[in-house]
Amino acid sequence: MPEPVSPRPWARGLAPTLVAWRGLVRASLQVALSYRGRMVLWVLSGFFPLLLMAVWLTVVAEAGPPAGWTTGDFLAYFAAAAVVWHVTGAHIVWEWDQDMRSGDLSSKLLLPVHPFFQYAAWDFGHRVVMAAGVVPLWILAAWALPALEYDAGVGRLILTGAAILLAWALSAVMGLTVGLLGFWSTQTTNIWMLWWGLGSLVSGWVAPLELIPDWLRSVAMVLPFRSTLGFPAELISGRLAAAEIALGFGIGLAWTTAFGVLYAIGWRRGVRRFQAVAG
Amino acid sequence: MTAPSYPPERVPAGGWRRYAHVLGVCWRAAVAEQLEYRADLFAKTLMSAFWLGWAALGVSIYFRFTGTIAGWSYGEMLVVVGLFFTLNGIRQAFFEPNLQRMGDYIRRGTLDYILTQPVDAQILVSLRHVGLHNLVDPALGLVLVGVGLGVTERAPTPVDLLAFALLLLSAIVLLYALIVGLMALSVLLVGADELDTVSFSLVELARFPVQAYRQPLQTLLVVVPVALLTTAPAQALLGRLDPLWLLASPLIAVAALALATLGWRGSLRRYTGASA
Repeated sequence: MPEPVSPRPWARGLAPTLVAWRGLVRASLQVALSYRGRMVLWVLSGFFPLLLMAVWLTVVAEAGPPAGWTTGDFLAYFAAAAVVWHVTGAHIVWEWDQDMRSGDLSSKLLLPVHPFFQYAAWDFGHRVVMAAGVVPLWILAAWALPALEYDAGVGRLILTGAAILLAWALSAVMGLTVGLLGFWSTQTTNIWMLWWGLGSLVSGWVAPLELIPDWLRSVAMVLPFRSTLGFPAELISGRLAAAEIALGFGIGLAWTTAFGVLYAIGWRRGVRRFQAVAG
Repeated sequence: MTAPSYPPERVPAGGWRRYAHVLGVCWRAAVAEQLEYRADLFAKTLMSAFWLGWAALGVSIYFRFTGTIAGWSYGEMLVVVGLFFTLNGIRQAFFEPNLQRMGDYIRRGTLDYILTQPVDAQILVSLRHVGLHNLVDPALGLVLVGVGLGVTERAPTPVDLLAFALLLLSAIVLLYALIVGLMALSVLLVGADELDTVSFSLVELARFPVQAYRQPLQTLLVVVPVALLTTAPAQALLGRLDPLWLLASPLIAVAALALATLGWRGSLRRYTGASA
């Protein structure tokens, strides 16, 4: 029997929401597991970082290591970036966009858990299943390929895990916040793709941030996007000193909080405009 | 004033004109439907331009550290990226909307209905829908090809242009053959909605010239043959095509189309229907 959930979680504190959240995550896990074939295809079609890497390897072979990046550095970074992308990439906006148009959001509004937690739980469950598939592959590759090497101790592995969790949280909150614009435009995926596309130039997706022009890198360091991809990948590849690691976590936490506040404000204003398409 | 009289629609009796007419009707309907969402169409068009700039910028990062990659300069690389956009746009506008509907056709029994119609089912199934969202991509891609040629300061000769046209046409036919092949496969597998991942991936690999990849991937992409999609047409424009491709590329495309058509017919023979 599921435990009874208070109809007004915010009034009674966070505990009931957490109970419900556990159930929602479990449901999402089961859905993700039953569509595992689709997730395998997802991984197979997510080879874009490796494509970019392949060209870098040609550059290394022909013109020497750019900015000191050797073949091993590129392998380590892009393998990590591909994994981080798979386990954090925010797919929430597509769910959200569809729910707004189909009217499924109406039924989500009726549940006694804030839709924020419903979407976050849905995404989290799927990411966990994805991680269960991708991380062992990553470990296997690092073990089998002599060129792919991570010189990481237990401490760095734990920090990387924390950075990936933070990357997921920031992606999720950022996606949901940008998604709120749908209340005003009824259409969010275009806005999100523009947001994501601009961000990908400074997140470490298009190229490692050490290799982009200096002025762009200094902008990238203070924007939220690096925390969702480049930071964990640089961390596990051993490219960051202690102070840089601390700063990276600080920036990621600050943006997660900022988007959280923005979401709370935006939700209260936006949900009043929701006209429940269909029903 | 007499009421305007509408002549009854005359459907040409046979041959390609009949198909041109049928597809014309289908496409007009698809366009009319999508023009209902004009703001979305406008936004998608802007996004196409954005992704084009994004791709050109992304490639420029490599050239901060080197003058050429496997013999391709920045301008030449832009020609390939532009052709990638052109082909990907054609895939998204003409092929993907049809391939994505294939799963539904099979599960809901729509395919039974299509098979009873007095036109070739392959043409109807594979070309019936057209997506407006990416219709500007081929044109935008060709603009980037022009920019790339401008950067390299090389004007193609009329012979280059003819070779380019032939190779681009072969690339499109090859891509179409792949789509028909995937459709045949989805009849056999009953659905398999995700098969367009295959066509997406192959075109995505053609974002860069095959020489930019190391071995053994490079040889594999010549065999598969991703090299025919963008690398060969770009080489034709840049006047450094191995003339062998002028013969091989159309032959491979036609052979692939014949093979895919055979596969389609074979799969229909094993199709048992869903609605009956």
